[in-house]
Amino acid sequence: MVDEKQLRDAVKKTVSREDVKYVVGYEKGTYGFQATPCFAYKPEDAERFIFSPLCVHNLTVFPMLEEKPPLRKGEEPDTRKIGVVVKGCDSRAIVQIIQEKGLDRDKVVIIGIPCTGVVDPKKIEAKFPGHVKNVEVKDEDDKFVITVDGKTQKIPKDELIPDKCKTCEYPTPVLYDTLIGKEIKSTKKEDYKDIEIFEKKSLEDKWEYWEKQFEKCIRCYACRNACPLCYCKECMVDQLNPQWVRRSVNLSENTAWNLLRAFHLAGRCIGCGQCERVCPMDIPLMKLNKKIEKEIKEMYEYKPGINAEEKPLLAMFKPDDPEDFIL
Amino acid sequence: MDKMVLSKGDLSKFITEILKKNKVFAPVKSDDTILFKQITKPSELNIDFYNSDVPPKALMFHQTETLFKFSPGTKAKIESVDTDEKKVIFGIRPCDAKSIAILDHAFKGDYEDPYFLNRRKNTALVGLSCTEPALNCFCTSFDDTPASSKYVDILLTDIGDKYYVEVISDKGKQLTKGLSTLFKPAKENDTKKKKEVEKKAINMISRQQKTNGIVEKLDKIFENPFWKEVAFKCVGCGACTYLCPTCHCFDIQDESTLTKGARVRVWDTCMNPEYTLQASGYNPRPARTNRVRNRIYHKYNYYPKNFDVIACVGCGRCIDLCPVNIDIIDVVTRAGEVKA
Repeated sequence: MVDEKQLRDAVKKTVSREDVKYVVGYEKGTYGFQATPCFAYKPEDAERFIFSPLCVHNLTVFPMLEEKPPLRKGEEPDTRKIGVVVKGCDSRAIVQIIQEKGLDRDKVVIIGIPCTGVVDPKKIEAKFPGHVKNVEVKDEDDKFVITVDGKTQKIPKDELIPDKCKTCEYPTPVLYDTLIGKEIKSTKKEDYKDIEIFEKKSLEDKWEYWEKQFEKCIRCYACRNACPLCYCKECMVDQLNPQWVRRSVNLSENTAWNLLRAFHLAGRCIGCGQCERVCPMDIPLMKLNKKIEKEIKEMYEYKPGINAEEKPLLAMFKPDDPEDFIL
Repeated sequence: MDKMVLSKGDLSKFITEILKKNKVFAPVKSDDTILFKQITKPSELNIDFYNSDVPPKALMFHQTETLFKFSPGTKAKIESVDTDEKKVIFGIRPCDAKSIAILDHAFKGDYEDPYFLNRRKNTALVGLSCTEPALNCFCTSFDDTPASSKYVDILLTDIGDKYYVEVISDKGKQLTKGLSTLFKPAKENDTKKKKEVEKKAINMISRQQKTNGIVEKLDKIFENPFWKEVAFKCVGCGACTYLCPTCHCFDIQDESTLTKGARVRVWDTCMNPEYTLQASGYNPRPARTNRVRNRIYHKYNYYPKNFDVIACVGCGRCIDLCPVNIDIIDVVTRAGEVKA
């Protein structure tokens, strides 16, 4: 259980610094099992901050979403730091972005939270359907303690956590300035079991599966916009001249989009699962991401977002890199 | 209006009858998604649902619509695309049916849109009342009800052992004509039951949006820092607008290969920076604040000023599917409380 007082104190301290613009964390959402991103500009704002298993968002997307409107004459750019509350998986995104020089380490203040697993919003909503009110979700060893309208239930975590938490190797942020509570060591291991099962299907079956998924895509680009690592200044699908991907929404263009998204994250995706969480059409995007992650791990023994000093996978060359895939 | 009843066992017979003369689109479940799709037999229909993930506006205003096709060269041929087919949307919720009536204003406005209007003319709406509104439903905030028959041609309401059937329009009469073996006149008790079901559904709606005086209020708070606060957490995707049953903005593109081409119309979203990007490079809505504000203003200020109706039906989709919990009930209610 995260000590919320300690979190709020850390936020207060951070936002009080002269060189910090704001801190982004979580607050209670407007309905049901929702938490929502929350911004502290002054110490009092920290009172709204919470941390619970409902804090499913990866907030490291916010420094990347910073808008730089044109400055008026004589106006100086605001170069102050941004404070971010991160879980283990979220922190790997920051590390990866720093590695890629997308963000300077000294432009962020990282408040780390050792995470014992969040809930999968779809699973908890299925478990508690309808008009839920006065919701509270707490964490107790291997159970979630869920209170809905005064009634409390304990539910084993395994039933409600997203797949990414089941195999999480980094519950404690890999990079932080302040840690709330004690470091947690993971005993879990990513074994890519689901991917191995899927790999055994025939090519036709796999193709049929993905066609069914991509047909649903409405190209709202929620997957891209919620992803902290999709931070291209202009996304390839938005380019008009040349236009790489057509605006028509059909299987062909949707396939192009979904595959190019996955490939652009090769060696970069840190597995926070935001793309899949936000997809309004329930496309299992993590299956694509995990497949690529597995290939890269097998070939290069490389995991993205672990060490900010390391070079990104696609920016380094080793003479003994495998090359069996080169024709 | 004719008031009748249809036994539950006869529902599939009714659908079979409709299928004889019309293409039928109805809610179909696949994995965890519910979508309006064309059905060829009654068993494909899934009647046990809150609402479809993508609103049925997509059947009237296609996400991708080929306006016409063309060939290259000096002897270029232009080929129009036929939109003239009889269609029935079966199982549309009253809120979504209202959204199509709201879209009429835009597509009938200064320029008549033949694609939408043809389809509208040829489509009959067979509504299905909500007996169990979902968590983020708020149609009652607009004086509508989950069992409103105002915007459909026929409305079916589950009253326990049978459906209460209200036939509203000529299109509805056409669909029920000659089916007296299926439809029996409703008794007073059936009408009473429908009212009870409707009342129960209204009482189940737990969230309300305060829209009193919102049009005038928004006139006064355009530059208020409130919008920055609301929009700061927006990640800028198009889920809210694409899944909104009343959003109707589009982009037009020519998509061609060496030998053939087509002019297509696709859904556009004001959440996309490109939406207002001008050829000069200037963008009048450069920041997410401008764009989020526009979404609210279009629905709660511009539309009511132009057409005397708020362009929101309270279906709750944008709330359910926003990645960061930007909640239109909360935003509009709070906008009403902002000090101008």
